[in-house]
Amino acid sequence: MIKSRPRHVTGAVVAGALLAAGIAISAAAATPDLQGVWKLAAPTKTLKPVSGSVPFTAQGRKQYEENKRLQAKGDYDDYDITLSRCNNAGVPRLMMTPERFKIWQRFGIVTFDFEWNRALRQIDASGQPPREDMLGRALATTMTGTSKGHWEGDTLVAETTNLSDRTLLDDLVPHTQDIKVIEHLRLVDPDTLEDRITIDDSAYFKRPWDAVLTYKRQPAAVFPEDVCLDRVQAHQAAFPSR
Amino acid sequence: MMTEFVWRSGFKRLVLAGVTVLALGAGGAGAQILVIQPPIVLTPADTLVSELPPPQPGVSNATPLAADAPMPSADPRDLGGTWIHDQALAFRMQRDMYGVLVPYNMDGAKVLERRVVSLNKGAPYTNASATCRPPGPQWQRDLNMPFQIFQSPDVIEFVFEEYHGRWYVIMDPAKAPPPRQKEYMGYSVGHWSGDTLVVESSGFKQALWMDVDGTPVSANGKLIQRIRKVDNADHAPFLEIETTVVDPTYYTRPWTVVRTFAWQPALTSFSEYNCEEQIGDPTVDADAGLIPEPKD
Repeated sequence: MIKSRPRHVTGAVVAGALLAAGIAISAAAATPDLQGVWKLAAPTKTLKPVSGSVPFTAQGRKQYEENKRLQAKGDYDDYDITLSRCNNAGVPRLMMTPERFKIWQRFGIVTFDFEWNRALRQIDASGQPPREDMLGRALATTMTGTSKGHWEGDTLVAETTNLSDRTLLDDLVPHTQDIKVIEHLRLVDPDTLEDRITIDDSAYFKRPWDAVLTYKRQPAAVFPEDVCLDRVQAHQAAFPSR
Repeated sequence: MMTEFVWRSGFKRLVLAGVTVLALGAGGAGAQILVIQPPIVLTPADTLVSELPPPQPGVSNATPLAADAPMPSADPRDLGGTWIHDQALAFRMQRDMYGVLVPYNMDGAKVLERRVVSLNKGAPYTNASATCRPPGPQWQRDLNMPFQIFQSPDVIEFVFEEYHGRWYVIMDPAKAPPPRQKEYMGYSVGHWSGDTLVVESSGFKQALWMDVDGTPVSANGKLIQRIRKVDNADHAPFLEIETTVVDPTYYTRPWTVVRTFAWQPALTSFSEYNCEEQIGDPTVDADAGLIPEPKD
């Protein structure tokens, strides 16, 4: 059961509560500080619902079964171009890479800096208008979509839309371009980060469903240069074994 | 290099980089300046390079800083923030920061020649940038796309939009020794000299292309970067990076170029860069249609 949290508190009250809880606060206006190096506490290739099974619609189930069939045949490029060609794993699957990632916070932008293939994703919690888009890039979907965020107390709430349907939610589960991924990111304690993910895609799932990923803080590190294309070219796994 | 400054009755003489400058008169509005440029003697390598088709012109994407933009730290040693190369991209580095021809030896000139000729024939050689690999520190910075700098006492990390790239400057090699496998971006060690960050990059996994046309640096070459933050209180702070190329394989002596990078916090939100989607396609040539470059 999720404890209820106060949603509308002043910055000073939040700062005091977080300091009492030993959770770091960045210098700017009591914004919680999620910065550091993190790693999945329990590696997994599957995004597991917090309860029950993935609530597929008939259409979603059909595509999922097709992905399983292609997986069994080894036709990875027909359903999982992250595995076959190191395509950006997208949201939320990047949050399931087995290697480490760093979180940086600057000017209201939260940058996730992944060890796997030097991938990047960002959550814009700045409240500023989007960058000028002379080339109309926002008209097309991308692997990491558009993630807008805001802080609710100690939690970063992010909503990601405009996601390409060329990614998977995990190693098999498909989604459409109309998906909305909502994340609640917070420090459970100073060394534990939680990402509660809500998947909302009515074409493939009967109802929104939640999954939770937990990360443990790691020592500061210089990540080795990871070039996934070199591995795949050498017929090695896109995701190195642990 | 300045070689002398001599006072002779009524005029001053200054010799700078082989050019003689005479200042006549007492100075001020009445002074006259005479510049004497001696004949330039081209080496065979210079001649080869100078006869190549000219490079494409680059364009600058410099935009002024918003009036209410946050400013960088006043600490000259704090480089943190978001920056972007605000000069026109140099498709080929033809002269150094003093305007002197890049000092090719014949081996280097021939490498550049074959790259430019193949490019102009429509059959360019394979290179890191075109195959979605990290392109080395110089090309990575020179592209007119933003990057962020995150700084700690032990390491300074550059995170680039283009190629979703990274460049680590190790400030304490004891804590981050060279990697077991050489990396495309090499291994870079930095130290402060006053308020200038001096970074030596070496140990590259493969030879570098410094620019679109393939100005070469061998895998054994070295780049020495001098990075400083400049704030003239004109609401336009910038980073200045001088890069000295030390590569006897291709050049007769070290040479230096300089770039500036404008402060642009509004560009902290990056556009996605996902070259793997195309380059990694198993149904097309892994070299993206480029041809292998002959070995030296």
